[in-house]
Amino acid sequence: MTAGQPRSFATSAAPGQGTGTGTEPTPGLAATLPVLPALRGLLPRGALARGSVVAVAEFGLLCLALAAAASADGAWCGIAGIPEAGVLAAAAFGLDAGRTLLVPEPGPSWPQVVASLLDGCELVLLRPPAPAPGQVRRRLEATLRRGRGVLVVAGDWPGAQLRLRVVSQRWTGLGDGHGRLRACRAEVTADGRGEAAMTRASWLWLPAEDGGVATVGPPDLPAGRPGTGPALRAVSAG
Amino acid sequence: MSTEPRPPRIMVLSCPELSDPGRETARRHERMVDAVTEFCPHVEVVEPGVCAFGARGPARYFGGETALAARIIAALADLGVQARAGVADGLFAALLAARCHDGRGAGPVKLIPPGQTARFLAAHPVTALAAGGPGAGGLAASGLGPGGLGELAGLLKRLGLGTLGDFAALPARDVASRFGDTGERAHRLAQGLDSRPLAARPPPADLSVAQRFDPPEPRAEPVVFAARALAGRLHEGLSARGLTCVRVQVTAAWADGRQSSRLWRHDGLLSATAVADRVRWQLDAWRPAPQGGDDENTQGGIALLRLAPDQVIRAAGPQLALWGETVVSDRVARAAMRVQAMLGHEAVLRPVLGGGRNVTDQVTPVPFGEKEEPRLPADPPWPGRVPGAVPGLVFPAARAAEVTDHDGRVVTVSGRCAVSAAPVRLAVRGDPPRRVTGWAGPWPLAERWWDPAAARRRARFQLATDDGRAWLAVVQDGRWLVEAGYW
Repeated sequence: MTAGQPRSFATSAAPGQGTGTGTEPTPGLAATLPVLPALRGLLPRGALARGSVVAVAEFGLLCLALAAAASADGAWCGIAGIPEAGVLAAAAFGLDAGRTLLVPEPGPSWPQVVASLLDGCELVLLRPPAPAPGQVRRRLEATLRRGRGVLVVAGDWPGAQLRLRVVSQRWTGLGDGHGRLRACRAEVTADGRGEAAMTRASWLWLPAEDGGVATVGPPDLPAGRPGTGPALRAVSAG
Repeated sequence: MSTEPRPPRIMVLSCPELSDPGRETARRHERMVDAVTEFCPHVEVVEPGVCAFGARGPARYFGGETALAARIIAALADLGVQARAGVADGLFAALLAARCHDGRGAGPVKLIPPGQTARFLAAHPVTALAAGGPGAGGLAASGLGPGGLGELAGLLKRLGLGTLGDFAALPARDVASRFGDTGERAHRLAQGLDSRPLAARPPPADLSVAQRFDPPEPRAEPVVFAARALAGRLHEGLSARGLTCVRVQVTAAWADGRQSSRLWRHDGLLSATAVADRVRWQLDAWRPAPQGGDDENTQGGIALLRLAPDQVIRAAGPQLALWGETVVSDRVARAAMRVQAMLGHEAVLRPVLGGGRNVTDQVTPVPFGEKEEPRLPADPPWPGRVPGAVPGLVFPAARAAEVTDHDGRVVTVSGRCAVSAAPVRLAVRGDPPRRVTGWAGPWPLAERWWDPAAARRRARFQLATDDGRAWLAVVQDGRWLVEAGYW
């Protein structure tokens, strides 16, 4: 299925690269959108595969962090159905507010809105206002593959190639009546289909004290957490 | 020198409150000029807040200059604008007439009868010519730059010529040889002659184009096709006058009387095909949802399509970086406009980062295609911000909540920012209650304390809860609200 699809607008000079259907292991610049360095370990290719759906269990900083590097790299980013999206926090991650479109209330015709946004934006962050029927999902996925964008869904999306979840998180810096929120240590897991089938986990500063995203170093890891060690090894191997 | 066969009768309307150039005043000013244009199509805007027109024709129609002026002033009063009128032979005298009764509580209309203008002017001090004094802007517009006039007025005064009458009595030839070009024109003004004829602004011709469909057209395709031809005509009409428009208004009317009207950014950059595309999107957006069954019959098809230019401006070549600093590619603009066609202009926003003390203030959403300006500038320091991390969720409307202490009583904050007890439980409306594991605050904020209507005092807290999340909670008027979430 890769042979017959040389895309006229693929700008990369690399010959014979994958088309980003989510199953070929060949990494290629034009086939993916970059993510922040700290998030690379969670993604099978170390980047977001174009044409794929990434589902994050719930809207939060993780969704914004996923979009940040692509936006900083020059991609347009659409945020649909999330009126409370904290653009300021996203900007601290690197999102370029000047290349961001917000559609806070896409309404009942949200599939058309998302399809339109995907025509213009390479990355669309979506929280569907209503559960998406299978037919609607498949049509959007087809649009996605045609346009080579990435859809990050906050919520459930049965066909997603990759699923991310914040398993646990804990803020630091807050005392009993004093201090301030400084940074949040979050355990994030990723699994999915195909090349993403292996579960990956990572401890992240989300956000770190400087507002960005960083990997939690061994001294800061919560003590006595079973499974922490192997999960980290999987990250470094991927 | 008075070779003019019949001096023009000029009416000047002066609205001192609109002389301040500002965005809001500019809009009111435009409305004022429009209102005056209703009475007389050829209106010249002399300076902000002052416009002039030839009064002879309209006065005859409306039954006299006084009646005309009274009607215009009444019309402007309906807009909330106080105006004064002056009528005289010539712009300069009319300007002075409109202004000379500024402080005296006389009626709002000052009429200098025909032929009396020179006498009216004669009583004015020569400083009336001076830059910075009344009428300076008017003089600038009437062909005399304010530069040099102050000097001239001072010089005349030192020469013992105290009034315009004294100055006007000098022989024109001597004035020209002694005071040069500026002096000569000032002399003409002092005599009640205009230094140049009034340059009236042509009536804003109706440049809109429309097509009726008889019988009403049920399909979108022919309408879009017609739209392309209409847009071509619209552009021809505009470019023939050296004009372009900032926005184009597309109005479609259905046979059953419903109407859809949308403004599309144009900026003189859209081709006829691009305008037709926008018409298509607009019509698409009005088509009922597919599950709604076939409404083609009940809609009855499109009966009328009209394209009207909005904000007609002089064509001055295409602008670069139309959308602000970031250049929006056609692809993105098309996508955004298609969504705007579906949901409305305000539905697609671009976030603009600005300043402010509250998290909700720091991002200003601006509709796509409009000028991007933050509500509050980012530059000045904003002390009083909540320190620390930036929340990932900023609720557009703060969520009601209840924060209680160990005994289940609501935590209160006194006027001196003393907290009644440590918060133990946070119950955000709609969510199950959470245990508070850490808290900090209050960070007090008294905003706009000088303005009783807008003043608000708030005490802000950061609360961490047992599920690992953190919240920005606010006490305002004794009520707890959650403004943002950190996760």
